Amino acid sequence: MTKKKSEAANEDQTRDTKKKSVSAVKSSQKEKPVLAKQVKSSKEEEDLLLDSATDSDYDGDSLSGSLNSDDFDSDVFDSEDDASQKETEGGDKDSSEDELELHGNEDSDDDDEGEQVDSENDEEDGSDEEREVAEESDSSEDEVAPRNTVGDVPLEWYKDEKHIGYDITGKKITKKEKQDKLDSFLANMDDSKNWRKIYDEYNDEEVELTKEESKLIRRMLKGEAPHADFDPYAPYVDWFKWDDAIHPLSSAPEPKRRFIPSKWEAKKVVKYVRAIRKGLIKFDKPEEEPNVYLLWGDDSASDQKSKHLTYIPPPKLKLPGHEESYNPSLEYIPTEEEKAAYELMYEEDRPKFIPKRFTSLRSIPAYENALKESFDRCLDLYLCPRVRKKRINIDPESLKPKLPSRKDLRPYPNSCYLEYKGHTGAVTSVSPDCSGQWIASGSADGSVRIWEVETGRCLKVWQFKEAVKCVAWNPLPDFPILAVAIGQDLVILNTELGTDEEQQKIEELLRLGTLPEQDEAVAAIVSWLPDETYGGIKIKHFKNISYVDWHPRGDYLSAVMSAGETRGVVIHQLSMHKTQRLPIKMRGLPVCTLFHPTHRGMFIIATKKNVRVFNLQKRELAIKKLETGLREISSMAIHPGGDNLIVGSKEGKMCWFDMDLSSKPYKTLKNHPKDITNVAFHRSYPLFASCSEDSTAYVFHGKVYSDLNENPLIVPLEILRGHSTSSNRGVLDCKFHPRQPWLFTAGADSVIKLYCH
Amino acid sequence: MNGEGEDASKVIHVKFLTKLDYPFKVPVTSVVIPSSVTRLGLSSIVNSLLTLEKPEPFDFLIDGELIRMSLEQFLNAKGISAERTLEIEYIRAVAPRKEEKPSLHDDWVSAVDGSSPRFVLTGCYDGLGRIWSSPGSCTHILEGHTGAISSIAFANSEGAEGVTVATASKDRTLRLFKVDPAESGDSTTRVGAYKILCGHKASVASVAAQKYGSKVCSGSWDCTINVWDTNESTSELSVPGKKRKGNNQAEEPQLEGEAETTLVGHTQCVSSVVWPEHDVIYSCSWDHSVRRWDVETGKDSLNLYSGKALNTVDVGGEGSALVAAGGSDPILRVWDPRKPGTSAPVFQFASHSSWISACKWHTSSWFHLLSASYDGKIMLWDLRTAWPLSIIETHKDKVLCADWWKGDSVVSGGADSNLRISSGISIS
Repeated sequence: MTKKKSEAANEDQTRDTKKKSVSAVKSSQKEKPVLAKQVKSSKEEEDLLLDSATDSDYDGDSLSGSLNSDDFDSDVFDSEDDASQKETEGGDKDSSEDELELHGNEDSDDDDEGEQVDSENDEEDGSDEEREVAEESDSSEDEVAPRNTVGDVPLEWYKDEKHIGYDITGKKITKKEKQDKLDSFLANMDDSKNWRKIYDEYNDEEVELTKEESKLIRRMLKGEAPHADFDPYAPYVDWFKWDDAIHPLSSAPEPKRRFIPSKWEAKKVVKYVRAIRKGLIKFDKPEEEPNVYLLWGDDSASDQKSKHLTYIPPPKLKLPGHEESYNPSLEYIPTEEEKAAYELMYEEDRPKFIPKRFTSLRSIPAYENALKESFDRCLDLYLCPRVRKKRINIDPESLKPKLPSRKDLRPYPNSCYLEYKGHTGAVTSVSPDCSGQWIASGSADGSVRIWEVETGRCLKVWQFKEAVKCVAWNPLPDFPILAVAIGQDLVILNTELGTDEEQQKIEELLRLGTLPEQDEAVAAIVSWLPDETYGGIKIKHFKNISYVDWHPRGDYLSAVMSAGETRGVVIHQLSMHKTQRLPIKMRGLPVCTLFHPTHRGMFIIATKKNVRVFNLQKRELAIKKLETGLREISSMAIHPGGDNLIVGSKEGKMCWFDMDLSSKPYKTLKNHPKDITNVAFHRSYPLFASCSEDSTAYVFHGKVYSDLNENPLIVPLEILRGHSTSSNRGVLDCKFHPRQPWLFTAGADSVIKLYCH
Repeated sequence: MNGEGEDASKVIHVKFLTKLDYPFKVPVTSVVIPSSVTRLGLSSIVNSLLTLEKPEPFDFLIDGELIRMSLEQFLNAKGISAERTLEIEYIRAVAPRKEEKPSLHDDWVSAVDGSSPRFVLTGCYDGLGRIWSSPGSCTHILEGHTGAISSIAFANSEGAEGVTVATASKDRTLRLFKVDPAESGDSTTRVGAYKILCGHKASVASVAAQKYGSKVCSGSWDCTINVWDTNESTSELSVPGKKRKGNNQAEEPQLEGEAETTLVGHTQCVSSVVWPEHDVIYSCSWDHSVRRWDVETGKDSLNLYSGKALNTVDVGGEGSALVAAGGSDPILRVWDPRKPGTSAPVFQFASHSSWISACKWHTSSWFHLLSASYDGKIMLWDLRTAWPLSIIETHKDKVLCADWWKGDSVVSGGADSNLRISSGISIS
């Protein structure tokens, strides 16, 4: 690159060799041939066309040469790239050889020119006097600035002008009249000093080299230092300190490997290039930083990004308005009355700032509350550090379990169309017969009624002296008899709804002949008696009966006496007119009992806290104990499949037990705010229900899959309202219709409702 | 200008047409009426054109649909242009014009039959069937049942000398009575059954008689439909004294009949049966289905599924082919079994608010049917509109049964123990 510069400076040197002096001398040897050529060219007499044009031609040549070298340089890089692409080392080598060759050519050029100049110099020896004359002007001309002030511009710009440029005063420098070529040639031929003359195109004048200058040039052409007093072979001063060097210094020649391109690197490069081509290496585009920013933006936003100490900006204050100026316009200033009115206001309502007027800034007093407010602020910061609340943004909908839509789970009871009215007290218990044509109900007014489901007509009424606790219809279709719990009595009633043959059978069964001998322990608590009033059987117990349940086969029925403690559960056999005590030791107060729907000997007893499953045939201890975790169990129902059990409690919770799965509840449903009075399963539809003292009944979809791996699906379906609360009691019993997806609810408001799908 | 334009848009040229005869016929001229006029307005316009002594309510049909909103809304809803002259057909409004004196029973009236124009039959929860020749005058009492009568029907009503009546009861039997209408005097005669049909294992819910034959069929809670013969001669055994408790019918010789055929297929109580054709029985059941049975083969040839427990079914309408059924929800559904590939009801009428206990097609009109519901209302329906034509709210409790009588009256019985007759319904 230095070459270029020096060549650009060529013209300066040619137009004014004197001025050039030191700098020219210091410039590298490569300038020399240019200069020399100019000198030579001006000297060459044979070439008639020898003038500035040739000079410029030459310049162009040299320039092109330098350009070539530039090209070459780029070639080198290119070739390197190429080489890496072609993965050939030969290419690399070739290019480096090219470089060398080119250098060699230049050198040889230089040499040729040097020789030429040498030969020319030999001819000049005779003209020494003129050089001395020129020496005088040498010192003076050092100070002379170039006449033309146009600067370093191409002279072609002035080719067609009459002037060549401007002098220091700004006047045009007019071109000299060009001599006729022949005349000038003749004049040159005549003039012996002509060879020293150089035409300065820039200043449009002829310059004559002094003797000194020509010597200088000659020396430079020889390749010597321009000044004669410069000693190129000065004795070597060893500046290096050898003594305290840590590392050994070798004077061995540089190894070859430092000069040849590294194969390993080439391989690495090839590797990278391949990787880039395949796209294994990707270059991230430099991120463009926006050079605009929100000047008036909230500072807090940018602070939030930083993960360090979170700065909570104080709330922004309202910007002051005109009224807060020290000299507001008069309409802002409150009048005396207004000020007085402010005084009468509560302190909270009073305006915080009352505009005042000052004639000048000077007269504004210091803010009287400044100290107080800064103290308050500090106190605030100290006492109530504001902490950013970590809030989790979760869509509450997503936390809900995915349940099927209610529409897909139809049919289920949802609306009440029929009511069974007639009882005068709270209906405590209902029981539909197995065909679904009739329903029996027992009430606190002591009556047991049978209703026609279809029309709501009361068909039969039995009146007793005590409140009816529980009614239960025999599960056999050809055995329409009712078991009714009234106080201490368990009454078996003949409903007379069967056919004649069935009636005969029932009458036979209900006729108490000679009673079989009971155990003493049993006889102490239970006695079988004929019922005079209604012609059934009355089984008298020693405590009040709270719950009655039939065995699915219809021969056995169990009675629960809550106060009976260990003797609280007895099982009656109707066909034998016999009573058995439980062969198992009971713990806790029994609440209700269930016969397993499929397994004949299985018997489930719910005490206040727990549910135990027994096998009556094997007389074992409890097969299973279900830990409900409830405070007080109130009711229990078993899925017709026999593996799932629901338990309702007095705290309003209902537990679903999968008895195969665990002794812990599979699901606990907390729906009712008050006691659950009863729970029920549908015999064929996947439905179950709970009713509560809060006058509602809930209907659920409870599907049990035959696949043991699949858990039961429980979906709440409907809240059935309609019953009114009477004396703090709501719905006392609920039973499903045996064949339709309908639910009967018995309310304390003495109404039985039928909810249909 | 603008106002005039608006006025013009609200005016419709109409022409009133009718199939009615002289006193109700208006001259066929185009009349300009405002488009905001409703059915009542149209009715008053026609009345003013007729200049009748007593105003007569009319119903109006445009393109076979009854108008139940304002004329403008109707035209907009149907996309009928108001530019041309509209042809509006009018008919006399289907509504009872007279309420007869109620006939009080001893118990709930559970069944009613008005298929004979001479009498109305009623069945009652006290186990007695009654024959009423006119409102308030009971000519015969049919006794013998030990349970509530659930259904009653004229069997072989064509016989001139006597009428056979079949009753179904919750005491699991059906009884057949022979009644001579001529002998009825001022006092009521008590009639005993000449034949007892035993065979059902549970309450009989419904009975229907063959139209021109000697057979009756019955649906029961034991899920079966039995077909019986009513003929006296074919009775196998006579039971002089039955040993049923509290049944002192020993004086009259009684025949006991057995079922000819039993149609098995329903899975729950058969709540209603109808016998519209010679050997086709329609039945509906609490198992949510309506079935059509072929008596000859004993197979069901059609099974419509409704999704609700059904209480009542009737066949009628266009070509006596439409099936209407109602049950444990307030919607009366009408199916067209002739439509292939679909079991969806073609009409659904949902104005009741409780179970539907009875529905009957009008015997002569293809469009009209009635429905009775536990909400105490009887509604008259026209297939040409989704709104009830009229609502009879004379009962104070559940309506358990209802039927057409004489083509222009509705007889109904309910839990208020009354038989009520609403007459003067003009159905052309």
